[in-house]
Amino acid sequence: MRKMNLKPMMNPHSVAIIGASRNPDKVGHVILQNYINAGYSGKLYAVNKEADEIMGVKAYKSVLDIKENIDLAVIAIPAEFVPQAMEECGKAKVKSLVVVSGGFAEIGNNDLQDKLVSVANKYNMPTLGPNCLGIMDPKSREDTLFLPTFKLSRPQVGGVSFVCQSGAVGSTVLDLIAGEGFGLSKFISYGNAAHVDEVDILSYLMDDPDTKAIIMYVEGIKRGKEFVELARKITKKKPVIILKAGRTAAGMAAARSHTAALAGNYEEHEAIFRQFGFTVAEDLSELLYYAKILSTESFPSGGRTAIITNGGGVGVITADAMASTKHLTLADFTQKTKTALRKVMPPLVNITNPLDLAGDAGEERYGAALSLLSADPNVDMILVIALFQTPGADSRVAAKLISAKEQLDKPLIALSIGADYTKMHRIMMESAGLPVYDSPSSAVKSLDALLKYAKYRNGK
Amino acid sequence: MALLEYFEARKLLEKYNIKSIGSKYVSSASDAVKFSKGSGIALKLISDKALHKSKAGLVKLNLSDAKEISFAYNDLVRKGKNLRPYKILAQEMAPGGIEIIIGGRVDPQFGRFILLGLGGIYVEVFKDFALRLCPITQQDALHMIDQLKSRNVITYNGKSTKHLVDLLLKVSKMISENGSITELDLNPIIIRENGYDAVDIRVLK
Repeated sequence: MRKMNLKPMMNPHSVAIIGASRNPDKVGHVILQNYINAGYSGKLYAVNKEADEIMGVKAYKSVLDIKENIDLAVIAIPAEFVPQAMEECGKAKVKSLVVVSGGFAEIGNNDLQDKLVSVANKYNMPTLGPNCLGIMDPKSREDTLFLPTFKLSRPQVGGVSFVCQSGAVGSTVLDLIAGEGFGLSKFISYGNAAHVDEVDILSYLMDDPDTKAIIMYVEGIKRGKEFVELARKITKKKPVIILKAGRTAAGMAAARSHTAALAGNYEEHEAIFRQFGFTVAEDLSELLYYAKILSTESFPSGGRTAIITNGGGVGVITADAMASTKHLTLADFTQKTKTALRKVMPPLVNITNPLDLAGDAGEERYGAALSLLSADPNVDMILVIALFQTPGADSRVAAKLISAKEQLDKPLIALSIGADYTKMHRIMMESAGLPVYDSPSSAVKSLDALLKYAKYRNGK
Repeated sequence: MALLEYFEARKLLEKYNIKSIGSKYVSSASDAVKFSKGSGIALKLISDKALHKSKAGLVKLNLSDAKEISFAYNDLVRKGKNLRPYKILAQEMAPGGIEIIIGGRVDPQFGRFILLGLGGIYVEVFKDFALRLCPITQQDALHMIDQLKSRNVITYNGKSTKHLVDLLLKVSKMISENGSITELDLNPIIIRENGYDAVDIRVLK
């Protein structure tokens, strides 16, 4: 398998922005502005034929004039000039490229794209794109996105890396991730995949210690056999959640056999994802739900789940949702646990699963229930429902859940449904590493996905 | 792509110890009656021009006496006029069971796939199937079964799981080792608690 060195691209110590501009309408302006805003700590160079200086950054006529080591050049100029700029980068020994510019194979301009690939190969420069957003890494403060920060919020540092072929899906999901507490390790939008493709990117992320889980949106896989070879390895190391577009384009009409009629292109992709332990998402929100739980690196040994709640109805709805999954069951607490719970809980609390702590439950009841259930050998996972509209629930309950999460070696998730006051607590808990869900079905599906992945990893 | 002749396809299956139902080409109604030896048979018209036999009324099942057999045979001959060249295949009736499909196909990008699903006429109605890349492991075979909504039906609540897994592994081996197979339909295979019979075999090369 080919091995591209993507380190200079993913974690560059020096960046040249080709097409940096004083004109705020230009893509190159926004990219440079974002690097400055993000507080990028490496060396920054602007390349522009006319200006001497842009936003306080010294500008050069050509990348060849910089005469310093350059790890990454971001190219944001009209497509026709890209191959020439790449030639100059090659001569200047630039280590890697991100070509943001569009106007290549996506509009039928295949010759120009072929030219791009041949220059990339000639100088052995890993090249991302063209027609892509590029890379964002909140930790190294790399940010090649041409979308201003007031339009697209930047996520906090976290353990989830997001690989995305489409720029539009990429920026949408990225904005959603910014609204979640779990945070981002790297965002990589690779557009036309002319040179660097999904296999190269996944190979890099497989060994990236900052990446705990990967979410991925693909339209097509370029190198099928290499992808399968990689798929066998990567999911044994870290979870990969994948959304594949093109579900409905099954080529039914011309098929000669039943097998060919059933097993279209999407089905084949899905089969491979399943076979090699990927978590398949069916829409954008599922990407986030699954990422949240799978990036915690806490894996269950079975599907017996305890539900703790401060609202009876929501507990029942959640138990119902659980019944529709394949592998989750309501845990049957041991006699020892039941006796201990009976002792500490007030008479209005029935000792059953779901365990309804009642609307006036505060941190004490949550704390007692969590510590007893986490010690119960019949419980593999715990789902805690904390409804912050109730009289007993406030930030102390959230804090109790966070400290339980820190001590627990079993998977624990929270379900909190509601508006502003609840959202505040959701972010609080999630930033501390506790996955929080906003609907019974998403919570339950995510636990099911976690269990499925854990089983795959253990070879079951 | 060409359809492999029925008995050649059968020979290929035999090489992998995949059981198929007793069959013979017949050239007259009395030939068919003789084949039946008094027990139930099926008659099928086989032609490159007819891909979906049961939809076209080219499959006659549960023919038990001479009168029924002759009537069915003559009807197939009549329908075959526009489907020449054709042959008429007589088959023993498999003991009752559940119809499943096991199939295979080649994808230029990823390689060779195996499919398991609820079979017979239900294939395209329920689209209840699982697909994996070959060769599969025993674990993969179990996951394929588990993925089906009809898993409890086709495994008789788990009782036939073991021989279904065996069968899947054999077919996967056959698909993997025969590079010239481009598509394969074993549909239906009649599966029972304690055994199975491949009834229709379609191998495209």
